[in-house]
Amino acid sequence: MTVLFGCDVPETCHFDVERDVWVRFEGELAVLGMTDLAQTRGGKLVNITFKKPGKLIAQGKSAATIESAKWVGPFPLPFTAEIVETNTAGFTRDILVANKDPYGAGWLVKVRPVDLSAERGHLLTGAAAVAAYREKITALGVHCFRCVDNPQE
Amino acid sequence: MEPIRVLDIGLVPPVRSQAIYHGVAYALGPGTPDTVILVGPTDPYVCIGYHQELEKEVDVDYCRQAGLPIYRREVGGGAVYLDRGQVFTQWIFHRPALPAALEERFALYVQPLVETYQGLGIPANHRPVNDIHVQGKKIGGTGAAQIGEAEVVVGSLMFDFNFDLMARVLKVPSEKMRDKIFQSLNEYMTTMTRQLGHTPDYAAVKREYVRHVVQVLGRPAEYADPTPAELAATAEIEARLASDEWLYQKGGLRQTGAVKIHADVYLLEATYKSPGGLIRATARLRDGRIDDLSLSGDFTLLPAFAVGALEQALRGVALEGGAVRARVAEFYRSLPVQSPGVGVEDWVSAVMAIKGQMPVSS
Repeated sequence: MTVLFGCDVPETCHFDVERDVWVRFEGELAVLGMTDLAQTRGGKLVNITFKKPGKLIAQGKSAATIESAKWVGPFPLPFTAEIVETNTAGFTRDILVANKDPYGAGWLVKVRPVDLSAERGHLLTGAAAVAAYREKITALGVHCFRCVDNPQE
Repeated sequence: MEPIRVLDIGLVPPVRSQAIYHGVAYALGPGTPDTVILVGPTDPYVCIGYHQELEKEVDVDYCRQAGLPIYRREVGGGAVYLDRGQVFTQWIFHRPALPAALEERFALYVQPLVETYQGLGIPANHRPVNDIHVQGKKIGGTGAAQIGEAEVVVGSLMFDFNFDLMARVLKVPSEKMRDKIFQSLNEYMTTMTRQLGHTPDYAAVKREYVRHVVQVLGRPAEYADPTPAELAATAEIEARLASDEWLYQKGGLRQTGAVKIHADVYLLEATYKSPGGLIRATARLRDGRIDDLSLSGDFTLLPAFAVGALEQALRGVALEGGAVRARVAEFYRSLPVQSPGVGVEDWVSAVMAIKGQMPVSS
């Protein structure tokens, strides 16, 4: 895992850097979530609304609406895919799950890509992803931070 | 993907609830984000459309007695009574960010409103060109304008509506007519409160609306505050919106029906209902030709100067169908105007309706 200005960029993930979405391929399926940078820029979530499993979402179209106190954003898919599962349970248990663990428990959707070979050209991984994020984070002047459980709460 | 800025301003004095989107529009520069304003008035008021004649549409004396201020907006449409029952949803966008065709622009603007209502269980749908209906009843209209460099589309989330006062503030020829208007409003308009049997939580509905805006536009939204420059522009606009000069404009030809000035000069007025709204044509006729013409009503015609240009284009034209049609068609060919629901034939009908007002002996 590379850390840039506090932002984790796990080399095992694939990234749609422009849309700030990470992808982990699991056989025919792919798990997707917000990057550390995306959760930092969005701030503490107050609400998330998922599109329903079974729905086909075109590349760039939104699979969920993510909302913090000051920000509402789409969760754009890096490639056309059918939603197989949403992490509704995880966010119901803890709406801050993506703010605490964006690459783990804070995943958003599991999807079945429709034509991955044609639509994955822009995804970056490993050193290429780290380099792209170094440039993006430097340009934005952002320093990432995570929410942590406060044992006194 | 540039975020949309959301200005959730809450309740502001009546004039500011109109002035704010004018101010944000006039202050729009290259670096200004596309903006959605959510705002409502602290107190009731009456708002008239850009092309309307105040004294023909509104019972000004009643409003004065009732302490209801009246403001003219720079957006078309009709006179309307407004209060806390509505949250205005005002879009102030850069030109390339919205569809160029007005029909498509209204469809896009209306979609998040419709989806918000549907999410509440209200079976709303878009009724082209620019209305929202629930099973045949209107739950609010919309309007569009170019203000400064900005493209503006306005409408509202209709929590509640005072049908009684809406009917009361309109200028009508008789109280019987007023009763009919009240009945019609009751029969053909609806609100969230009427549909649901209770008034939904304002904050929750506003948040839900913004979610739908994000979904429809596929862009994130960021809540923020107006800039000092926008607030300064808004304050400047407030003075103008409340001025008599602005309110009473279009008041040059106020006679109704037909008034004979001398044997060859008449002042005539007629109204015509087009699919895109009511057109009122007031003309001075000299030797059978249009000597002066004023077009008003609740239609939408963009750009804003187009109404004046059309009036000008028809001066000197003989009041005959063929001549009027040729001139209006030429106007549409020469200017990139947009008038949803109002076509060449509607203008011809509106202008030719004047002829019906001529005294029989002439």
